[in-house]
Amino acid sequence: MILRYELKKVFSKKINRIVLIGTMLAAVALSMFAIGGVRYTDRNGTTHAGVTAARRLADDRNRWAGELTGDRIARAVGSRKEMNNRYSYDVPDEEYGKTVQAYDDIINFVINVLTPDTGWDENVLYQLEDEQAEDIYSIYRENQQKMAEEYGKTPRQRQFLEEQYGKIDLPLTYEAKDSWDTLMVYVETYGMILAIVIGFLAAGVFVEEFRVRADAVFFASRFGRTKAAGSKVLAGLLIATIVYWAGMGILLLISLGVMGISGSGTLYQINFPYSIYVMTYGQYCLLAVLGGYIASLLSASVTMLIAAKMRSANVAVCVPFFLFCVMQFIARALSGFLTFFKFTPDMLVNVIGCAKAPNIFQAGNLVFRQIPCVMLIYSVLAVILLPFVYKSYHCYNLR
Amino acid sequence: MELKLKNVSKEFDGVSAVSGVSVVMRKGVYGLLGVNGAGKTTLMRMLCTLIRPTAGEILWGGSDILEMGADYRNILGYLPQDFGYYPDLSVTDYMMYIASIKGIRPGAARKRTRQLLGQVGMAKYEKRKMKTLSGGMARRVGIAQAMLNNPKVLVLDEPTAGLDPNERIRFRNLISELAEDRLVLLSTHIVSDVEFIANQIMLMKSGKIFYQGTTEKLLSSMDESVWHCTVPKREVNDLVRRYLVGNVKSAPGGAELRILAKEPPTEQAVREEATLEDAFLLYFGEKVGGTDDTEI
Repeated sequence: MILRYELKKVFSKKINRIVLIGTMLAAVALSMFAIGGVRYTDRNGTTHAGVTAARRLADDRNRWAGELTGDRIARAVGSRKEMNNRYSYDVPDEEYGKTVQAYDDIINFVINVLTPDTGWDENVLYQLEDEQAEDIYSIYRENQQKMAEEYGKTPRQRQFLEEQYGKIDLPLTYEAKDSWDTLMVYVETYGMILAIVIGFLAAGVFVEEFRVRADAVFFASRFGRTKAAGSKVLAGLLIATIVYWAGMGILLLISLGVMGISGSGTLYQINFPYSIYVMTYGQYCLLAVLGGYIASLLSASVTMLIAAKMRSANVAVCVPFFLFCVMQFIARALSGFLTFFKFTPDMLVNVIGCAKAPNIFQAGNLVFRQIPCVMLIYSVLAVILLPFVYKSYHCYNLR
Repeated sequence: MELKLKNVSKEFDGVSAVSGVSVVMRKGVYGLLGVNGAGKTTLMRMLCTLIRPTAGEILWGGSDILEMGADYRNILGYLPQDFGYYPDLSVTDYMMYIASIKGIRPGAARKRTRQLLGQVGMAKYEKRKMKTLSGGMARRVGIAQAMLNNPKVLVLDEPTAGLDPNERIRFRNLISELAEDRLVLLSTHIVSDVEFIANQIMLMKSGKIFYQGTTEKLLSSMDESVWHCTVPKREVNDLVRRYLVGNVKSAPGGAELRILAKEPPTEQAVREEATLEDAFLLYFGEKVGGTDDTEI
């Protein structure tokens, strides 16, 4: 019963309701941005955006859906080279809509395979022989080996990278994944917004008594220093969970409902062949959503602790903004501390950036990747802080 | 069961707020009287386990209340001087929330809430948001919340602060009604609040309780008598300087004065029966105030 009323206290506050409505509206708005971000070019060369664009684009690209054998890749490369010969670099929109758009992802994959560490260079495609295109997976495997050697600073790290690359099943299976690609950016942005909003809401759980001067009655009550304090901690976590999944649910539901879920089983390596995270686009999205959730839990824990200690929400509500937003800019400014900033909390809402780079670390014989490590650290931290939050209420004014 | 304070002191940054208080309280209404800053609120906050004494101990039934923790708070009801509430909750929700942190089961809490809101005359406002209540209404809810767990120890810190005279009378009657079979400690600097309902009076000054007993005993222990006289206006200042003057009222041809003195201050002075207010004036050396200043 305490928990129920704790939640009621939070959700009955006008400012909290306004913030929540605003947050849910932001989910709708970001869904619209995601949907509007997909462009489809029809056979007449007309480019479309809007509600139907993503599904039409997926339908077009799914002409190439299925196993990407060397033969099929060579066909796509051949066609693209022919287009280039015919139109140089400026393929007309009609032609793009008729042919190129459909296999664009495959071409991008080939270019990415051929330029593992040199950045995007379209010219490599035109220098590729037909036999080499057919045998693209051999080049891919060779380059994986090179990447393992380049980024693996110790034998154990090299072995680890080889193991990760070894998990990539070849030939890849393709399905249009534009809805996921577009959605991911908004998932991360919205995850950050939610973490900040949740920090704001959770801080209130532990300062309300002081704000309205109800602390005397609260602490003089039977469970004021025990169960009620525990319920407050639980309420903070529940608020984080409810608000996060409700908000993120709206974003995912609207976006994927409109754009479709084509490509959920497509391997992320189709876009980033040398990513050490072997996962499908569905899993990739789940990872970003999970990162946002951990950020939200951390935000709730940290703000609750600061609010309970300071008996004011003013500083507490600024902390998530600093952790998840400002930290990114500080990291860019202080490039000398690159390793440190690979483990800061903002990484939880930057899964896209983390997944691209082969960041691995070693402690003793244990080699680990950035994303699981960051997620583990901050999940544990979010939990570890909770007893301190409880204790600050339990011992309030009695020391 | 008795509430025993053994040499209780409290200091804040080296400044003594309560000093060596030793009192035993049993069933009945105890009126704690003192001017603002006397240490009443600090003492009450220690009795409610909100702050720890710097020295001494507070025992309930022989056990230290801080060690008893939740068990002690289970028999405690508290209405603080600065009664705060959750403005966006309805009256019923507020009561239900407090009931929940007092460990009362939902069914019993609902029943008790209805009963208490009826008792304090707030039943018809049960759906109103707390923030829409007047000061008097909020105080009534305050006393209802303090009574939720049917406490054996009811601590009321300046419960009538900020109330108009009508509400103050209603409140006094309500406290009287609730005082049966429990220990009620009522702190105030308004003498009339305790004059008629307190079985025992405690006088507190500079952090110390220097008197505890019945009103009658307190009045009979006064060396001074109370005198009523009418004097020309030009003599008023002189009398005020020389005596403790409780009341000065303009009258045709001069002023009526209520004076505390061992001997008649004027030849025409008539002896009157002493009241608690006179005792307050005598011991605290000032007229009873009506302000609601926050104290330490």
